[in-house]
Amino acid sequence: MSALAKDLSEVLARPDIWRGDRLVDAPIPGVPSGFASLDAHLSGGGWPRGALIEVLLDGVGLGELSLLLPTLARIKEEGGWTLLVAPPHEPHAPAWAAAGVDLARLAVVSPVRPADTLWAMEQALLSGAPEAVLSWAEQIDPRQLRRLQVAAADGSALAFLFRPARAAQESSVAPLRLRLSSGHEGALTIHILKRRGPPLHAPLHLILPRPARWRSHESSAPLAGVGVSASAAGSPRRSVVA
Amino acid sequence: MAFPRLPLEALGDPSSPDSSLAVEEGRRIVACSAAAGSAGIRRGMGVAAARTRVPQLRVRLRQPSQETDALARLACWAGRFTPRLSLAPPDALLLEVGGCLRLFGGLPAILDRLAGELAAQGFSATHAVAATPQAALWFAMQMPGVRCDTPAATRQALDHLPSEVLPAEIARTLHRFGLRRLGAARCLPRAALAQRIGREAIQTLARAYGELPDLRTDFAFPARFAQSLELPSAVENAGALLFAARRLTAALAGWLAVRKAGIAACCLHLRHRQGSTPLTLAFAGATRDPPRFERVLRERLQRHVLAAPVEALRLEAGTVADLAEENGTLFAQPGDSRHAMAALLERLRARLGEARVFTLAMAPDHRPECATRRGAAGTADVTPPVRRPFWLLAIPRRLDEIGGRPHDRGALRLLSGPERIESGWWDDGEAAGDLRRDYFIALTPDQRWLWIFREARLAGDWYLHGFFA
Repeated sequence: MSALAKDLSEVLARPDIWRGDRLVDAPIPGVPSGFASLDAHLSGGGWPRGALIEVLLDGVGLGELSLLLPTLARIKEEGGWTLLVAPPHEPHAPAWAAAGVDLARLAVVSPVRPADTLWAMEQALLSGAPEAVLSWAEQIDPRQLRRLQVAAADGSALAFLFRPARAAQESSVAPLRLRLSSGHEGALTIHILKRRGPPLHAPLHLILPRPARWRSHESSAPLAGVGVSASAAGSPRRSVVA
Repeated sequence: MAFPRLPLEALGDPSSPDSSLAVEEGRRIVACSAAAGSAGIRRGMGVAAARTRVPQLRVRLRQPSQETDALARLACWAGRFTPRLSLAPPDALLLEVGGCLRLFGGLPAILDRLAGELAAQGFSATHAVAATPQAALWFAMQMPGVRCDTPAATRQALDHLPSEVLPAEIARTLHRFGLRRLGAARCLPRAALAQRIGREAIQTLARAYGELPDLRTDFAFPARFAQSLELPSAVENAGALLFAARRLTAALAGWLAVRKAGIAACCLHLRHRQGSTPLTLAFAGATRDPPRFERVLRERLQRHVLAAPVEALRLEAGTVADLAEENGTLFAQPGDSRHAMAALLERLRARLGEARVFTLAMAPDHRPECATRRGAAGTADVTPPVRRPFWLLAIPRRLDEIGGRPHDRGALRLLSGPERIESGWWDDGEAAGDLRRDYFIALTPDQRWLWIFREARLAGDWYLHGFFA
């Protein structure tokens, strides 16, 4: 009896056996996201390498990049490259630099055609050169997703794919899928739709660094300052005089 | 290395090896394709006789000048393997590989690589290894595949060579004595034999056996790389062009290896019946890596729309930069990613265009529109201002003002500001121009973080300029 129990525990210890109630012990440790409460729910203790990570949200400006900043800063320390494929707007270099991204190792690809976006992302993942590939795709079908996942699994890069929130309805081969929405008082709410592990029903709430303190109401002072007129409320704070 | 099919292969016909093709000179076949050879066509056969055997045989006229060019190109290419080589016209190359065996991991490895790279260029070669150049040449033609790396083994193998390797007249004389092998001739008294077949033949034999020094002039690599390649017929598809251009890039890579240099750009001229099209191949850094040449070339050719059929190619090396030989590392180093990244960017640029793949740098300008510079190595000493958005709209979008408040899908809540940015009086009328703006960080009802500004004048309009993502 005891021999049988021992055999069972040996079997369960095998890396290719996964018990449905636990997070998978990833063979490659993940890259810590910089948010302990998020890492605790990801297999491998962070963003998985060599796996497509889908980040679903509508539009921009929720804090989706702030979520990745600790990771990008870590890549800078290691001297790795970051590649942006088809970003939704022009990247503003001073903001990226101030956030700790190494501009000398940040490359941007902005293809004209959607097909080229997929091609560029696939090439980047296959090349194994960049440490992180961030790409944005409006339309992508399951077959293309599968190709990207295969390409991602070939290398060890962090492959983030930003897609519209409606994609949550579609099935996807990506091993990790997150849906972002705005949370309470400036927090970011993350629904982990899919992960290597049991489903997580409760969303996570992360406090991200924000450019300004979140307030439920705006203080009337700044608006009055301009709204009335510059001379009436005193000159606004001048940051630049040239 | 001998190239028995050089007259045929120098013409650069990329047609399949199954087609029957031959080259004639003076109505005699001088070379034929493998398919034609297996149908019974031999060197020296009359063209008429050959046609009776293979009616669909395509016969082309020999082009000696193209053979010379092809051999010189092959010599350039072989520079990647050894800097000491010499031509053995009309159709052979002699490579001194003794000094570079360690580098390539032994004789079998270097021979494999030679054969593989030749096949990619569409050349079939027979090769042999021997202790003396003359012996190697004879073996390559008569006993391909022989590898005698010691003088003793070389002499032993030479003894078995048929006397036909010597000039035809001398071979006939030897045959009349019943001497069919070189070994038999070597047994005869040297002086008596010299009287019969001449001093020259005796010396050739002595050089082959390593008894006399064999002085050959090393191939002189050209000072500047600019080589042309005539195409057998006007070419319109990228695949055939790539095949032909591969011969040029292979030669370029070898030429660069000999000078320990690399290039950041080279120019491939596609010559048409009238005029020519220059195609610049740009690399992310100085390189002489054939796979990189090939990748960029393929992407460029695929993207290029041919104006007219191409009749000839010409490859000119751009500025040559010193490129040190790389030391192999035992373990993969993080620094490797730099090369991989350069190769990736090159590949993306080749397909998507130079302007579509770029790096970013900060520019010392307070105007947000001018603070990002593409491509150029940035000024590192710019201190980035705080509270700037990751994404900037190329053109600020005007926001409605309702009840004195800016609206974007609902009333915006201003959380921080104003921050006055006032700059650019000197380039009035330029793209960005003279700005006077008050910037605010604003929150939409659905909690998106925006960067908006109001023109700093009385009742100025509100604009959305960026997103704090």
